[in-house]
Amino acid sequence: MNRSFRNASAAACAAALCFLGPGTARAADPQLCAACHGPEGNSVIPANPSLAGQPEQSISIQLFQFREGNRKDPQMSPMAEKLSNKEMNELAAYFSKQKAAAPARKTSPESAAAGPKLAQQFNCVQCHGPALRGQQHIPRLAGQQYDYVLVQLRKFKARQRADLDGNMTAAAEPLNDKDIETLADYVAGLSPQ
Amino acid sequence: MSSCKALAAAFLTTFAAAALAQAPAAPPPSWQQGRTAEQDKSTLHPFAPHMTGRDVKELSLDKLKVPAGFKVEVWADGIPEARSLALGDKGTVFVSNRLAKNVYAVVDKNGKREVKTLLKGLNAPNGIAFSKGTLYVAERNRITRFDNIESALDNPPEAKVVVDGLDPQNQPGHFWKFLAMGPDGKLYYNVGAPGNIVMPSYFQAAISRVDPKTGVVEEYVQGVRNSVGFDWDPRTKNLWFTNHGRDWLGDDSPNDTLHHVSHKGMNFGYPFCHQGDILDPDFGKGRSCSSFDKPAAKLGAHIAPLGMRFYTGSMFPPEYKNNIFIAMHGSWNRTTKQGYNLTRVRFDANGKAKMEPFLTGFLQDEKADPPMWGRPVDVLQMKDGSLLFSDDYNGILYRVSYAKK
Repeated sequence: MNRSFRNASAAACAAALCFLGPGTARAADPQLCAACHGPEGNSVIPANPSLAGQPEQSISIQLFQFREGNRKDPQMSPMAEKLSNKEMNELAAYFSKQKAAAPARKTSPESAAAGPKLAQQFNCVQCHGPALRGQQHIPRLAGQQYDYVLVQLRKFKARQRADLDGNMTAAAEPLNDKDIETLADYVAGLSPQ
Repeated sequence: MSSCKALAAAFLTTFAAAALAQAPAAPPPSWQQGRTAEQDKSTLHPFAPHMTGRDVKELSLDKLKVPAGFKVEVWADGIPEARSLALGDKGTVFVSNRLAKNVYAVVDKNGKREVKTLLKGLNAPNGIAFSKGTLYVAERNRITRFDNIESALDNPPEAKVVVDGLDPQNQPGHFWKFLAMGPDGKLYYNVGAPGNIVMPSYFQAAISRVDPKTGVVEEYVQGVRNSVGFDWDPRTKNLWFTNHGRDWLGDDSPNDTLHHVSHKGMNFGYPFCHQGDILDPDFGKGRSCSSFDKPAAKLGAHIAPLGMRFYTGSMFPPEYKNNIFIAMHGSWNRTTKQGYNLTRVRFDANGKAKMEPFLTGFLQDEKADPPMWGRPVDVLQMKDGSLLFSDDYNGILYRVSYAKK
């Protein structure tokens, strides 16, 4: 993706959020989510995760974590604050039914060689599945935005990322930054289906 | 075992990882701790609740089956991860959770239930008990009290600490507590084992009690891997509790168990002996199960018995009097799933347990992933003799009632 398109997307995302004054637009409108998470939830902004085709429960749980203040983000927290459980479930159902786009990223040959071994060694496949496509409350990593995965893994390792059950914090602990970069590069280039 | 194991936490594995920075493989998530090499490729895993609950209209409520003359209905919904239940004198139903941080109060107003978020920002507040106007809450690390709570549901008082320091090591695995008020006026709570099969430290894998007047703690029974439900026999005033056996010892081994405590100081065997008669393959070496107290009943492997109560009401037929109802939250650590029901247990004159599923239908496909659409957690007898039970998977409370035909 070229840089100017990326910047334009980020600007559109920011602009959409500006309209979200208290009591205005319904945060439960998937179109509003799409401003930052991309068309049908296929993100074109590196820092923002793709939602398209994610397991339904994995989306609703993260919305819950944002609303309850367990996960914090300057853009997501105010969005989630307004959502009822029902609206969270509706958004999760909608995005889980969208088709995940082919990944924009091409994994480097080095990461493609090392990634599968690391994913095995550090237990990624134990919960995210052999093809890293997620299940139930566990998100799909295949085809996810590289920057997003990178930041989340670093935050888990630093114990700064809310974690429903402690598993990800434990899993990220032994990773060094090179492992994190390799894993993020590897998963970002995997086919989501 | 329940999805509890998913809560496997980080600390021991973390320190081990730091020490073995150059080791080829990272420590597994702690719910996998204790797997054999052959089990390395197992796809069995715990299940997480829908934290946002699910719409009752989307659920297969007609699949729920109870014996003739009984009826089951949704009593309240929209309670994230509804776990333990406690009943106030004025009829308030208090509901806890474990992965979130709240305690809810459900008030019945002319047949309609209003759900209030009563307490916020707590640390895994799984245990709740109500006694003489006071709500007690067991968090991961402490037990607190909220006096005259039913007069202050919209403006609850500040927590007063009964006892603190219950989790000095920030233990992994089974850090949540069950709480109940004993007939002796003391609060009983469990401290679970810090993992699937590990050597517990001094007051772990035990049920203890604390005098709320003094804050003094004493250990009551030991060798209890993890109990998430207990009650007292109304006839003998003896404590009974449910207990979760270890994982990764096979589909049918060991059983989860029901225990009868006849006196303080009993030891039920963990981590050396399971279900009263199976030595642990590692910790059991050089031990004998005869050194330990036996369970009152074997409930089924990995079936994850959580809340249990003696039935003392007059709504159900007389043969139900003093029977035990147990909420089965599992199983996950089993290739063919079982449980996900309410089980009725009674004992014959020889002390032999007779068990039968009382409410079924949550388990829809014993080979599927997930196999169930709901998971019972706790049971609560209401003043009219009906029975409430919680379902953390969907955030729902159900009511079971009986009417003569």
